[in-house]
Amino acid sequence: MTDLAIPAVIRGRIVLDDLTRFDGRGANPSFLAPDPERLLPELPLRDPGALGALQALPFDEIVDYLARLGEHLHPDRNDRLAAALEHSVHWSDMTPPLVRSAYEQLPALFAADTVREVADTAIGIDRLDGWVELTMSDGRTAAIRAMGARAVHIIAGNSPLVAALTIVRNAITRSDAVLKLPSNDPLSALAIARTMIEIAPDHPITRHLSVAYWKGGSAEFERRLYRPTNLEKIVAWGGLASVRHITRYLQPGLELVALDPKRSATVIGAEAFTDASTLADVARRTATDVGALNQLGCLNARVIYAVTGTDAAGLARADRLGQLVHDEIQRLPAAVSTPVRHFDPELRAHLSALRTSPEYYRVVGGSGNEGAVIVSHLSEPVDFHPLLSGRVANIVPVDTPMAALAHVNAYTQTIGVYPEALKRQLREPLALRGAQRLTSLGYAAAGNTALPQDAIEPLRRMVRWIVDETCDPAMVTPLWATAEVPAESTASDAFRRTGNPLYKR
Amino acid sequence: MTTDSDARRFADDPAGFFGHSYPAMHAVPRRELTELQTAALRLRFTELRDRIAVLRAMADDQGVTALERLDDVAPLLFQHTVYKSYPVSLVTDGRFDRLTRWLDRLTVRDLSAVDVAGCVGVDDWLQALQGQTDLRPVHSSGTTGTMSFLPRTTGEADRMFRTARLGLVPGLDPFAVGTDRYRHVVWPAFRFGGSAIMQFADHLVRHVAGGEQRFHALHPGRMSSDVLFLAGRLHAAQARGDADTLDPGPALRARRAEFDRAQQEMVAGRSAFLARLVERLRGERVLFMGSWSTAYELARQAGEQGLTGIFSPESSVVGGGGAKGVALPDGWQQVIERFTGVPRLRHCYAMSEIMATHMRCAHGRYHIEPSTILFVLDPQDGTVLPRQGVRTGRAAFFDLLADTYWGGFVTGDEVSADWSPCPCGLASPSLGATIERYGDRAGGDDKISCAATESAQRDALDFLTSELV
Repeated sequence: MTDLAIPAVIRGRIVLDDLTRFDGRGANPSFLAPDPERLLPELPLRDPGALGALQALPFDEIVDYLARLGEHLHPDRNDRLAAALEHSVHWSDMTPPLVRSAYEQLPALFAADTVREVADTAIGIDRLDGWVELTMSDGRTAAIRAMGARAVHIIAGNSPLVAALTIVRNAITRSDAVLKLPSNDPLSALAIARTMIEIAPDHPITRHLSVAYWKGGSAEFERRLYRPTNLEKIVAWGGLASVRHITRYLQPGLELVALDPKRSATVIGAEAFTDASTLADVARRTATDVGALNQLGCLNARVIYAVTGTDAAGLARADRLGQLVHDEIQRLPAAVSTPVRHFDPELRAHLSALRTSPEYYRVVGGSGNEGAVIVSHLSEPVDFHPLLSGRVANIVPVDTPMAALAHVNAYTQTIGVYPEALKRQLREPLALRGAQRLTSLGYAAAGNTALPQDAIEPLRRMVRWIVDETCDPAMVTPLWATAEVPAESTASDAFRRTGNPLYKR
Repeated sequence: MTTDSDARRFADDPAGFFGHSYPAMHAVPRRELTELQTAALRLRFTELRDRIAVLRAMADDQGVTALERLDDVAPLLFQHTVYKSYPVSLVTDGRFDRLTRWLDRLTVRDLSAVDVAGCVGVDDWLQALQGQTDLRPVHSSGTTGTMSFLPRTTGEADRMFRTARLGLVPGLDPFAVGTDRYRHVVWPAFRFGGSAIMQFADHLVRHVAGGEQRFHALHPGRMSSDVLFLAGRLHAAQARGDADTLDPGPALRARRAEFDRAQQEMVAGRSAFLARLVERLRGERVLFMGSWSTAYELARQAGEQGLTGIFSPESSVVGGGGAKGVALPDGWQQVIERFTGVPRLRHCYAMSEIMATHMRCAHGRYHIEPSTILFVLDPQDGTVLPRQGVRTGRAAFFDLLADTYWGGFVTGDEVSADWSPCPCGLASPSLGATIERYGDRAGGDDKISCAATESAQRDALDFLTSELV
């Protein structure tokens, strides 16, 4: 196969010059892309004042733009997406049915209702659209606006939805985005950016999105790009090493918004074992949390703490749950989950070893690429749990739901909990130990983009919060007039003693 | 035609079978070697299949009742994870009775009567096993977070060293009456330890030095297996971000002062060690064996003291596993050569799970000993690649020296094997100098590189100290 040429887009302009070859990750094919060195002079938005046109857009126009874009983003109607889908087989860790299913969700992500909800929940449309005035108790008025910023987005490529979400967020926050293409999804963001050029070539939103590929960790290139004169924010998804790598470029004036690596878990209460139909429902929900997106997401369940008890009867319950979850993973529809493309050989070696230790583990499945469930027979997760992938889960029998708490820390993102009452009971203890998102069992992979992510609100971090204060000397006593204040009041005494204007009134 | 008695002699005493000659061991034509290895493999399979619980379960599961060709053993090669397939809490909670029961499934020895009451750590447990059976279990460095335990016996270890010494010490004649029979051994490390590499010391004393009087260790004490175990857990926890919650447990805390002292003595003892070497061994033919980073540290210090060319140029200076895990400065080899006075350093490829030590030839290739059957597996699906030409893939081995546990083993190493005779003149298959870990992305480097072991041990002691402050 000849190497595919992957252009860059710089603020509405497609660049296909100075192509250079990049090696694909692992066994993936190499591809051609513009030499990042040559792109560098134009990649950052050097003049922050150029964001003015975006700030002048009414919010409704942004909503209309995104909705219209969304209507074009269906793989059956968009040649760029169709081509991206066809080529994704070379780069994506997902299988084609999953990539297609992700693309089919794009129009909904850009729909007017969705965009309004995201903007209003996270920031407030009025604060994005203009200056919101507050009168403060000290008599001043303050106008607050969430203004756009210049940002580089280092996105994850495990789902094409990350690229789309970034583009939506960039438009809502009226920002300038330089989006670094991930090597495992080099085409999705590009397909959307090119569609934007086709439907609205001169629109300010089109003119404030750039997408380009460079090899992560190219120190000299990154040192010259990541400067406060070029940008205010770096939004970084991804693995521990890549996020850690970026921290070396941080300095005053350049902020990191880290959507860093997380793991997710499940807590299943004793109520799951009430009767056969309840257990079947719990198994189906658990399988969905494990298998959706082929377990490529940080939100997927991996270790499952089940309140089965740890005596012989308890272990039998855990085994039963393991078998059912495995069966249900096999039944998930192809748009949700399929046998995986690459099964980690190291994980396979672990599965094979655990089969030799029946006193401590029961392994269901895992002979091919269909996935597996490891049932621990001691109340502890397998030591290699960070490797769990390819639709492989580890059920850990516990005597009480509180036993799961010991395994939760700042790296824990989503915890699916059954039943709801248990979730209510566990939410503070789990949150205090680091968990960031609790959800009804079965909904781990069905998030809502308007809600907080990784215990932060990314949109609030992507904007710059600007305040314009107005002080009428008749209402707010001016500092220059402090000498005229009579000396009788205690507050004034305190002010004279300390010089602290808070004592002024 | 290989007879049963040939196969028996080859498998049970490869050194004797080849007349205690390294060149003879590596001169066997391929076809003849395959015949010998096939016969020996069948012998091991027949004798072990129903006596090792894990092997029997696996063979039953795969429906393997007999082996015709070498490749037939492929489904029965143990993944490297088998020897660490115990729940880690068996160690951390001190359930050594259950750990013994787990180990029992991997050996033909009956461990059911072993009394491990009172064992509070790995050091104790290994000692209990050694005291009550002929086992000398070895463990890995454990840097992936879990330690492998392999139930090797003294008989196997002796068999291993009667062979290994031929490659390690050229010119050694174990049957000579005069000075060629033994060598002084220089060992810049602890004298004792439970890891496979640390147990080399005992074997070198017996099979190369012929007694403690010719064995020169930097430190007379023991590298604690408990500290290494903690080091592994610490390393894994750091990679996961859980290090803050790691609890070393009261047993380790109680021994902290002992560990600290040993560590300090180890560093402080270098000068005195150098002085001893100069005084006792100047101009002697020695076997110098240690990690390259330790050897370099010692050589650098010697250089600062103006000590060069200490040993006879006919000495053998051996290090294993390259300098992996530790960055050595450019020119490190010259520094060691200047210090020792030995013109060519000798590299070897070894791992705790396989007994043979595979020496690197002048053409930079690691030659596979006849007692080790080499397999190169497809890294994705694990199928055996053809035994011809040059093949790159995952290395797997069958160790014919093992007769109380199962010698079939799949490594985590990516190798490039050449099945043709080497330009150096040896007929045995060989591996290219670059050997990499498939598991590196998981943060693992469990290969026995003592370099990694030592720095990991230091980290663990630092942790233990700071944790108590």
